[in-house]
Amino acid sequence: MVTNKRPTIDVQAGLKAFEEDLPRVLACLNVSSIEELGWGMPKPLTLLVPMSGKIGEKNDEYLLRLGFHAYRAWPPSAQFINPATNDYVYPQDQHFVPRLESNECRTHIAYDHTAEGKKIQLVCCSATFEFYDVLHSVDAAYIWSETDTFLKTINAIRRAFSESYKGRFEAHGK
Amino acid sequence: MTEDNKPEEEKGSSPLNKALENLEKAEAHLADTRADESKAEHEVEEAISEIKEAEEKQDYVEVRVIHVNEVEKTSFEERLLATLQEVWNKAYDKLHIEKKPKDIFQTAGQHPKSLMTHLSLTLAKARQECVIDDFCFGIASETGGACSGDK
Repeated sequence: MVTNKRPTIDVQAGLKAFEEDLPRVLACLNVSSIEELGWGMPKPLTLLVPMSGKIGEKNDEYLLRLGFHAYRAWPPSAQFINPATNDYVYPQDQHFVPRLESNECRTHIAYDHTAEGKKIQLVCCSATFEFYDVLHSVDAAYIWSETDTFLKTINAIRRAFSESYKGRFEAHGK
Repeated sequence: MTEDNKPEEEKGSSPLNKALENLEKAEAHLADTRADESKAEHEVEEAISEIKEAEEKQDYVEVRVIHVNEVEKTSFEERLLATLQEVWNKAYDKLHIEKKPKDIFQTAGQHPKSLMTHLSLTLAKARQECVIDDFCFGIASETGGACSGDK
């Protein structure tokens, strides 16, 4: 099926839900602060989560930015970003995006966002905001539930790193 | 006629008497040996029982399971001979959460891996074959929709 409704932004609801869920997630992971996990929160609605992918002995580091502007009615936004700017600008930042190629999660550095008339980075997975924002088709069994939390998003992307990491997208111009 | 002058067969140490004496000795020896054997068998049984008891104690490990979607966790003692499927099933009971069709069992930590193709392995075998590094697991749900569209 195709989700025919784009997510609606609700910053207040997002902030409230995130503030409710963060302590639950930390307790579940047996820590008392995001710093213990190496996570960062530069803004109230932004969570930075380091991720890594390994091919052979080579370990590649990435930074995932989660945004909670439509959370928890919709999943968090998920974007791999340039750690120097905490942003993603195509094409110069495309090498900060990992190639994930599983059936559950696939990354695109410039996906056509028809409704917005632009190209965006898409972590193509039913646990990310952008997935619904581009009106991606999805089996009903996988649709985000309002009882899901951002831990589901992090877990899905981490599992894709473990099972289908194909290295870094090449730097622009190379 | 003195004893020394009696024919050999009339003496107390006739071959027949000697053989009977030997038989009696052998039977006594056999009885002793059987008693020893029985005692030894009992000792072996006791030792095996002690080993089993010790092994049973040793063969339990603490298993930790996180339910990703529900943000819940549990831990419990489990036999090393329990299969991953059994651990997964038990985790739902401990968590009081119902299993959903798209749920999967996975390793925990920074790099979770699906264990769905290894569910028949015991904890011991899974660790031996490096399918798992420890006894920390996660229950998550599949996500979907990934495409191979344009860049």
